Amino acid sequence: MNVEISDLTRRFGRHQAVAEVSLQAGPGVLGLLGPNGAGKTTLLRMMATVIPPTTGHLRLLGRDPGAYGPRREVRRRLGYLPQNLGYYPGFTVAEFVEYFALLKEMPAARVPAAVATAVERVDLSGKARAKLRTLSGGMLRRVGIAQAIVNEPELLLLDEPTAGLDPEQRVHFRTLLRELGQRATVVVSTHLVEDVGAACSQVALMDQGKIVFVGTPGELTARGTEHGTGDAPLERGYTAVLAAARA
Amino acid sequence: MTAASAPAAPRSAVARRGAGSAVLGSGRLLRLELRHNAMLWLLPVAFALFFYNGYREIMALPPMWNLRAMTVQNRLLLDLLIPVTGAAAWMGSREGRRGITDLVAVTARPRWSRQLVIWAATTAWAELACLACVAVVYLITARQASWGGTLWWPAVVSVAGVPTLTAIGFAAGAWFPGRFVTPLVTVVMFFGVAYGTQAASGDHSYWQISPLTTGAVGIGAAPGVASFYPYLPDLSIAQVMFTVGLTVAVLGALGIPVARMRWLAAVITVTGLATAGTAVALAGTGRLDPHGMIVIPALHDAASDQPVRYTPACSRTPIPVCVNPAYAGFLPAVTAAVGPELTEFAGLPGAPARLSQVPLVYRQVSGNGVTVGGIGTGPAAFALPDQVPGWLGTTDAEFAAQLDEGLGLHLASHVILGDGPASAGAPSQAELAVIAGSVRFPPSVESRDLGPLYGQVLPQPGSPAALAARRFAALTPAARHAWLAGHLTALQAGRVSLEQLP
Repeated sequence: MNVEISDLTRRFGRHQAVAEVSLQAGPGVLGLLGPNGAGKTTLLRMMATVIPPTTGHLRLLGRDPGAYGPRREVRRRLGYLPQNLGYYPGFTVAEFVEYFALLKEMPAARVPAAVATAVERVDLSGKARAKLRTLSGGMLRRVGIAQAIVNEPELLLLDEPTAGLDPEQRVHFRTLLRELGQRATVVVSTHLVEDVGAACSQVALMDQGKIVFVGTPGELTARGTEHGTGDAPLERGYTAVLAAARA
Repeated sequence: MTAASAPAAPRSAVARRGAGSAVLGSGRLLRLELRHNAMLWLLPVAFALFFYNGYREIMALPPMWNLRAMTVQNRLLLDLLIPVTGAAAWMGSREGRRGITDLVAVTARPRWSRQLVIWAATTAWAELACLACVAVVYLITARQASWGGTLWWPAVVSVAGVPTLTAIGFAAGAWFPGRFVTPLVTVVMFFGVAYGTQAASGDHSYWQISPLTTGAVGIGAAPGVASFYPYLPDLSIAQVMFTVGLTVAVLGALGIPVARMRWLAAVITVTGLATAGTAVALAGTGRLDPHGMIVIPALHDAASDQPVRYTPACSRTPIPVCVNPAYAGFLPAVTAAVGPELTEFAGLPGAPARLSQVPLVYRQVSGNGVTVGGIGTGPAAFALPDQVPGWLGTTDAEFAAQLDEGLGLHLASHVILGDGPASAGAPSQAELAVIAGSVRFPPSVESRDLGPLYGQVLPQPGSPAALAARRFAALTPAARHAWLAGHLTALQAGRVSLEQLP
């Protein structure tokens, strides 16, 4: 298992953002669904080693990220796209991706080729020399994805990766996700259930800090056949599970 | 929950890096940071500030190595402080301002290492600015100076001070990443450093550790300092220790929040603070040496007390005037100012065969007070004043007046009074009249504070002797020489009255 989580809790003062979550994930694409404030981003930030858990156990890529050495090893093999992508406006696309490749301590000789590949995979080869300040929001999102995948991560954590992407790019991105999921563990936090249906092999649904459903997209869809509301089958499953959990 | 059981993941692109790869990676990171560093864009501002403040002042100084090099140290860091500290603070706060903290926090390279690369890039551009300013001044001075070699220590102190500015600015930006921290830290640093130069008092002051302080407080960059004796690096060494220690301490403190490196960072910080503290303590043991520089006993090399060897520059006058070659540019002004005296006294009994410049002697008195002496070690020796043309706005006329009242009077009194005013007893009114007439009793004499000399080597203004002096001064130098050749012995024996003076 690349991700092993047991009884993971994170508190911010009195607020419990994530409550005793247990989860395991191997290679494949895991969709993390849930309403606003469900705790998806906090869970993802703990998995990305940005913040430590308050209690519980977390193992990533077979290592304990609580210790310095293993955490560093995990970070070398990690890709992360935060919800709000900060960037340096003066950097070009290629420079920004190269910057993160170097920070991820990739072998320096392999960096140029890796940067070119990552930029190509997000369909930004034509903009490789463009300054980030000149890019649209969707293009910046793709730059964020490129920096996350530049080191060919074994664990890829994406927080709302398709926000701002146009439909064509979203289709392209789903294909990329499926590709990446063949040999890495990809965790995608999103509001967009159609992304989950199209790209994820597994889905976990969070509400109020807890995981209330884990299964395949097909299983989630099945939950909504009688009680769910929404336009798409997966949406009906989503709303049905949430309603059941809150009841 | 178990996600889809896809094929086992192959090893990722991440491989264990060798030392060479790590160095190469750091080099590429540094190249990226150099390309996108705020200091690069502030270089023109740094050059403009130095040009308008320091450079014009330095170039207005006489082309003497000691003056210009010490003034570079005194001005350069202050001129560079605003752009350098500002750029460093801006770069230090970059991750926080740009909201990229999470993204970089999950990378393998430790935060400390990442920050040091950004700091190094900022410092590299700042040092480039510093070195370029030093190089311009030194190259021009090398072409203009009549003698002497490059004084490196003042430049070394400036160069060592730049990383301190960037370290403090960077750390402030990193610890308080807001857009207002840049102007705030810049203003605080500017006034802090400027205050440091004003707070020093006396040769034991701890404030001498400020890298802007050149030489002794109360003397600073003066022509008489490091002309006859080597430039003493004692204070400079302490200042470099201080700036390096402070830089190390601040950079070490940046690493304290980094897990696992906390102890190493703490040790580095404490080492830096100890070095800086030792340097401050050493500065407090300083004392002013007679040659105008600060001696720190623990750092002092006695070999530096030996005078500099040189071949003097001499004039072709009846009595040759020989000066330290660093002063060669002033020789024409000296001979022009005292030319009549040189003609008048040449060959007379007691007149020196030549006049040789001797160093000024500095002595610390209370507070920042320093007395400057050196004149009067014999008829053949004289000291040129520190107020040479171009130094602190001194004009050619003021320099000439000082020579009249100093060198001219010194020579005349020694020749006329024999062994010198101190040992000759009370001089006669005729002797005073001849002395005053020989120096042509310049109008400035009466307006200046020469009161203590009245009755000693000069007549009281308005006295009969003063009137006789004006009569004697009206003669040509050759006529005065001819009269003295025939009457000097009688004059010294007191057998010449005022009425007998021509």
